[in-house]
Amino acid sequence: MKLIQRKLSVRVSLWVVLFAAIIFNIALGFFFYQARSAVRQEAINRAMQTLEKTSLRVEGILNRVEVATNMTEWLVKRHPDVADSMFVYSRGMLLNNPDFYNCSIAFEPYYFKDKGLYFSAYSKHMGDSVRTIQGGSDLYQYFYTDWYLMPTLLDQSCWTEPYMDIDAPTNTSEMVTSFCRAIKDDNGKIIGVINTSLSINWLSQTISAVKPYPNSYSIMIGRGGTYFVHPDSTKITRQTIFTQTFEEPDTALTALGHAMQHGEEGMKQMHMNGQKCYVFYKPLGKTGCSMAIVCPESDIFGGFDHLRNSVRAIVLVGLLLMLFFFIRIITTELKPLRRLAEEAETIASGHFETKLPELQRIDEIGQLSNSFSGMQHSLVKYIEELKDTTAQKASIESDLRIASGIQMAMLPKIFPPYPERDDIDIYGKLVSAKEVGGDLFDFFIRDEKLFFCIGDVSGKGVPAALVMAVTRALFRAVAAHESMPDRIINNMNETLSTNNESDMFVTMFIGVLDLLSGRMRYCNAGHDVPILIGSGIGMLPCDSNIPVGVMQDWEYTLQETTIDPWTTIFLYTDGLTEAEDINHAQFQEKRIIDVIRQTPNEPQQIILAMTQAVHQFVGNAEQSDDLTMLALQYKRQQPHVRYQRSLTLPNDVQTIQLLNEFVDNVCEAAGFDMSECMRMNLAIEEAVVNVMNYAYPKGVKGMVNIDATISDKGLKFVISDNGTPFDPTAKEEVDTTLSAEERGIGGLGIHLIRQIMDSINYEHIDGRNVLTLLKRI
Amino acid sequence: MFAAILIFCGSMAQAKSATNDDTIVFTPQWTAQAQFAGYYVAYEKGFYRDAGLKVRIEHPTSTQPAISRLYQNKCQATTLQLCQALEIIDDGIPLVNILQTSMNNAMVIVSARGKNPLKQKGARVGIWSGGFGQLAICMSLMEHLDYQWVRFAQNVNLFVVGALDATLAMSYNEYYQLIQAGVEMTDKNVYRFCNHGYNVQEDGLYMTRSYYEKHHAQAIRFAEASRKGWEWAAMHPEETLEIVMQYVNKDYIATNRIMQRLMLTEVLRLQVDRESKIREFRLRPDMVQQACHLMVENKMLSREISYGELVCKE
Repeated sequence: MKLIQRKLSVRVSLWVVLFAAIIFNIALGFFFYQARSAVRQEAINRAMQTLEKTSLRVEGILNRVEVATNMTEWLVKRHPDVADSMFVYSRGMLLNNPDFYNCSIAFEPYYFKDKGLYFSAYSKHMGDSVRTIQGGSDLYQYFYTDWYLMPTLLDQSCWTEPYMDIDAPTNTSEMVTSFCRAIKDDNGKIIGVINTSLSINWLSQTISAVKPYPNSYSIMIGRGGTYFVHPDSTKITRQTIFTQTFEEPDTALTALGHAMQHGEEGMKQMHMNGQKCYVFYKPLGKTGCSMAIVCPESDIFGGFDHLRNSVRAIVLVGLLLMLFFFIRIITTELKPLRRLAEEAETIASGHFETKLPELQRIDEIGQLSNSFSGMQHSLVKYIEELKDTTAQKASIESDLRIASGIQMAMLPKIFPPYPERDDIDIYGKLVSAKEVGGDLFDFFIRDEKLFFCIGDVSGKGVPAALVMAVTRALFRAVAAHESMPDRIINNMNETLSTNNESDMFVTMFIGVLDLLSGRMRYCNAGHDVPILIGSGIGMLPCDSNIPVGVMQDWEYTLQETTIDPWTTIFLYTDGLTEAEDINHAQFQEKRIIDVIRQTPNEPQQIILAMTQAVHQFVGNAEQSDDLTMLALQYKRQQPHVRYQRSLTLPNDVQTIQLLNEFVDNVCEAAGFDMSECMRMNLAIEEAVVNVMNYAYPKGVKGMVNIDATISDKGLKFVISDNGTPFDPTAKEEVDTTLSAEERGIGGLGIHLIRQIMDSINYEHIDGRNVLTLLKRI
Repeated sequence: MFAAILIFCGSMAQAKSATNDDTIVFTPQWTAQAQFAGYYVAYEKGFYRDAGLKVRIEHPTSTQPAISRLYQNKCQATTLQLCQALEIIDDGIPLVNILQTSMNNAMVIVSARGKNPLKQKGARVGIWSGGFGQLAICMSLMEHLDYQWVRFAQNVNLFVVGALDATLAMSYNEYYQLIQAGVEMTDKNVYRFCNHGYNVQEDGLYMTRSYYEKHHAQAIRFAEASRKGWEWAAMHPEETLEIVMQYVNKDYIATNRIMQRLMLTEVLRLQVDRESKIREFRLRPDMVQQACHLMVENKMLSREISYGELVCKE
């Protein structure tokens, strides 16, 4: 089987030989069928002729019997009342016909009164002579025999079934069949019967001699189906043609028996003694017997079968030779192809430069070789290109992995980010759809203000990641000195819009939460509206601003609100609302609200629960967009105030002495040492003098309020005035490493304050500048 | 008819008086066949010998029927049908039934295909020339069928060739011969006497009363050994068939093993009483009475013969 699969030559040869075998088979099958039919017809003709001949022979002698009997009856009827003449007639019959077995002229009981009950003139051959006696006695009441009853009952001449004729004087017996004719008087009354018998022996020998084939044989049955001729002598007279069917039902044999019984003529094909046979049958004259010739099929078709087997053997040998030569020829023809295949295998194993064999052929194999050569060149070229492409791809993938690392590094990743603070809790998470993404979030605290943002760059992949990096850097840079979200966004918009040839933009939300007061200023540039989670759940009201980077001149609006303690601000990108399952159904805000409702109000728990809910919803669907969430909880608690003093001064630096005393007292109450008191004095004085000198226009009188509070949070000074709004914290940090000329004017004061105090915070509240300075105790 | 035979035989018997030899010659009423299997078995298995008997089985010939052998004292025991025995006794020859084997009637009428024997009034019906048909003649008269009886010597050929409208047959013998000759049997064309109020016992073992009275003990032992033979045959049908075939082949009887197996099976079946379901081996008084009534009524007997006249007197 493997050889057939592996060898084309074997396969093709087998197909050809198979096809040839089918053609031969059909042709020979037709020929054999026709030949067999002819042989069969010949056999039928031959057997039927034999039967006919036999039948004619039998009928010849039967006719003689019948004629002789009829003649005797004519004689008897001439002298029906002369009993002794019957002996003459009976004897004469046998003398004239030496091949007849016996002859009886029997009469009805008491027909001849002087002869008694029985009178039968009975003659029989005894060697060369004829013995004539009177038959009939109490022990042989002939009028009860078949031969006497049949012609009288049937009222016609007939042949009896073969029967055993017992000759009482010699105690011998012979199987005979008799022709019987009733003798009638002038009134038509039956007065007796003439019976002329033939030895069945003669008939048996005649029929048994019929042997058209070496193993054929003949049978003869009577009307009752009894065998009178059969090769198995034990069946003769003992069995009928139906006997065997008692124990082994055989419908064919039964049908044959009935056909023969009914005097039919014909042929049947059947099994006899386990052998397929043709049986030809024909009735034997008027005897009621029927003979059949049984010809074994093997005899009829013996010669034919021999011829057929010889032809089959020749064809088989021819086909095998054909197969052998075909394989040899095709193998030789395909030799170059095999070499080509071997070389191709070498090429396939990586040796692309292997030289192919040069075939000097113009047939299909030559064409294949040329094509293969061309394919080899193309393959070598393609492999080189593939190598380059693979190397480039690997490089890009490596770059992307690095870029992803860098991008992730840009984002806050340590949570909680301010473990030392108890007023704010933050948790954020970003999951990119690709190696790098366009979402961002960030936050930092400056001057007791929490700056935070969340954004989503249009598009995905590397371009979006680059814009994200720029956006995040801009946010950091601008918010370092700018505390107003609208101004931060305006600033970023201006930068991003300039030379934005790729038309990329960023939806963004920036918030600045004053951690001291809970006041939050924010600006939303086309981003999803944050959710506020406190005593209730609600959306943060947001103006309709366009995304950053779309229009350079767009003025983004500032919005403001106060965040109650223990309120969580939940921000997210559209990767959350638009997360899709395999049926493209979206997660949507309703599910976000449901998750929030079922989750404790705590940033990390909210985001983890939201992540799990999204994963469950999406299932096996591919993540289509970056998913970013940021949650901030404001937890400001009222400090316990144990000391509180206030001082109000005119905008006159001459009153600064009062300030120094005030600060000393406060510092002393707070428990600071002398050195720290002096440093505190320096910082407060710097801030107050700054207000006195610059808050009000020259010549305009104004007031400066200084409130000092000592609580468990530390010492807090709040300096407020009604002067021109000015945020000293927005001043860029002075570079103290530079010389005085290089630094320029200003900026050192606020720098000094930052150095001394732990935190500095500016707010413009209700038209007043409010500067809060805190020193932790 | 029997009277004529018996008168003839009787004269022969006187001419050749019974031998004092203590051998019992048993002649069954027909040639060798399974109908007499029990007797062959008793002989072959040594049951007769074991009973202290010298027994010889001699079959009848065409010149010496069984009954004539009995009266010529050429045999001391024979088998007879009950009706035959009644006729013989009525003719003045006392017989003794020493063993009754048949408990049921086996006679049937077979009509040509598809014809009901009861609807063939005046039909030509074959009957054995040697007796056996008494019950059928009674039935023909009782049922007003007026059959024309055609006596034949021995076989079924006349019916097969169409010379008869119907023929009498024994369910163990001619019935199967007819099937073997290709005759189809149906419920319609077969009339069974036993199923129509004519269930009269058939085969029994008989001796002349004179012999019986002289050899009483011997006769009893002979009957017992014969019964043993039948019981053994019922237990071992295949071995019995072998024995039967030995007898059949020895006498060149034109039959075969298949026919003999069928005959043996049927004969054994007929020995089982319909009511008791066992082989009783006894003459039933009611059946004797029924047979007598029928035959007297139809003038086949001159007088009622009592059960006591048939059986052994202790």
